[in-house]
Amino acid sequence: MSSRWPWLAVALAAATSACNVGTDETTVAPPPPADEWDQKLDARVVDYGAALRIAALRLTGELPTLGEMSSVTGAADPKAAYAAQIHTYMSGPKFARQMFHWWQDTMKMGDAPELDTAPAFAAQLTVENRPITDLFTATTGTCPTLDATTGTFTAHDCANGTTASGVLTNPGAMKLFFSNFGFRRVRWVQEVFICSAFPAEVSTVGQDVHGATPYTGLFPFDSVATLPAGAIDFQNKDSQLCANCHSNINHIAPLLGHFDENGQYQPAISVPSPAGGLAQMKDYLKAGEPTGWRHDKPAADIPALGHAIAADPAATSCVISRAWNWAMGKSDIVDGGNRVPSDTIATVMQSFTASNYKLKDALYQIFTSDDFVRF
Amino acid sequence: MTKHLFLFALLASCTVDVGGDSTTPPDDTTSDPWPELDRQEREGPPRYTSRVHGCPKVRYRTLGNLLLSRGVDTASTADQSAGKIYTASPATLGAPNFAQRAREQVDPALATQSKMFDIFVQAAPELIAGMGTRAECSKGGSPSPLFDAAGKCNKDGISCLIGMPATQTHVDLCNQAVARADDLEHGKQLAVAVLAAAAHTCE
Repeated sequence: MSSRWPWLAVALAAATSACNVGTDETTVAPPPPADEWDQKLDARVVDYGAALRIAALRLTGELPTLGEMSSVTGAADPKAAYAAQIHTYMSGPKFARQMFHWWQDTMKMGDAPELDTAPAFAAQLTVENRPITDLFTATTGTCPTLDATTGTFTAHDCANGTTASGVLTNPGAMKLFFSNFGFRRVRWVQEVFICSAFPAEVSTVGQDVHGATPYTGLFPFDSVATLPAGAIDFQNKDSQLCANCHSNINHIAPLLGHFDENGQYQPAISVPSPAGGLAQMKDYLKAGEPTGWRHDKPAADIPALGHAIAADPAATSCVISRAWNWAMGKSDIVDGGNRVPSDTIATVMQSFTASNYKLKDALYQIFTSDDFVRF
Repeated sequence: MTKHLFLFALLASCTVDVGGDSTTPPDDTTSDPWPELDRQEREGPPRYTSRVHGCPKVRYRTLGNLLLSRGVDTASTADQSAGKIYTASPATLGAPNFAQRAREQVDPALATQSKMFDIFVQAAPELIAGMGTRAECSKGGSPSPLFDAAGKCNKDGISCLIGMPATQTHVDLCNQAVARADDLEHGKQLAVAVLAAAAHTCE
């Protein structure tokens, strides 16, 4: 059993490099010949009645009324009538409520006033069709409240001791995901907004660091802290290399570590070290190593981190992948492993990018897409 | 053996999207790939599964809205009432637990489906009595009760219950369930519970 793992790793690495993994359309390989799965897709038929039921449950949280059903399935042009009904659903107060609950679920937080502000802010961006990248860059009004009855948002600042950077500075999020070294906050950002678990960056060529496995991170291996300068040996090579994940984690965590257990920003790092006391910069990175979002995206502070995330194509495609999975009734993209191939959402992504990341428009496109109305 | 393994992994990987760019890792590079391969063999590759509807359970809040909109008193505290079962069973019904950083469980579990059926069985009398008066179930200003005066199933009433246009098969099955019961009222309740449970197995 164990002898085949190195081969599998090599095979998968080769496969990864052999396949087209980029977003550059000019390098896309020709599609494979049609197979049984293509035939199943082709065999689907349009059913606006079924699509309306699902759309109503997702977009309003309620079943369609008999009148709504009749207006769509009995229309001379059911496609146009269906699209009009989707527009109506997305214009009402229940849509705001649903977006709020969807973002609660996406962010894994809510149902308490302090935990509701981040989902409310994301819902506000969605409902008001503002750039969803404001999730990481907005400096004001990032702790709104929602009146679920009227679907109206009331802007509030978070007032937790620092200039806001969207939800990255949200006190509820920082409190809920408080942990040793602030690592839980980093994982939250990575999984919720990038849609993949750590390791965040993987080199296609492993580096032999004389350990049990190759080092595959893109930051220099020795950029993370080790003993005795830090409290933890992140350069440990005895088994799985810690640095494969922590090369990224440790470049982000010190920034989010400034929030204390109540989500209040402090001048110094205010998360505990498992070795005792509060963590210090030397526990994360070697002396002089700057913080950063990715190996080629330095971020000296949280606003810079927010702008780096907002500019990361992985973040913008993640929100569309999550929206797609929600519409299509799939469980979580990370926890449930329900990946969305880039080809599936290519059309939506194209419009989303061109519209400066307006999620409401993208949702309308998803709920009226050919895939959504076929069964 | 190793050659075959290599080719297998190569082919399997080439059927899926493996990330946004060369520095973004494919999913599950650090976990066991065999369950993923088994899943793809069973369900199809992501290029297929991502384009077809899944079968998530009805979300907890949505279930409450659904019941309420069809005439069920979800605030009822009466023993064995649908409302009480609903409000007492958020965990079984897969509701989120955000204090524990847990999302809503949307994969339909047996316990969840069983509890939902319990709710629909208990809700059936309220649904039968209430739907005929609900604005959500009126058509052209006329109510659409689930049954006519003779106890026969009403197509529009079923449509309103299941949230999509009912077919003649729905009506026939409904009438069969009624006819096979020991008495009319129990037959109607069973028919409604079965139709609702079947329709709302997936959101």
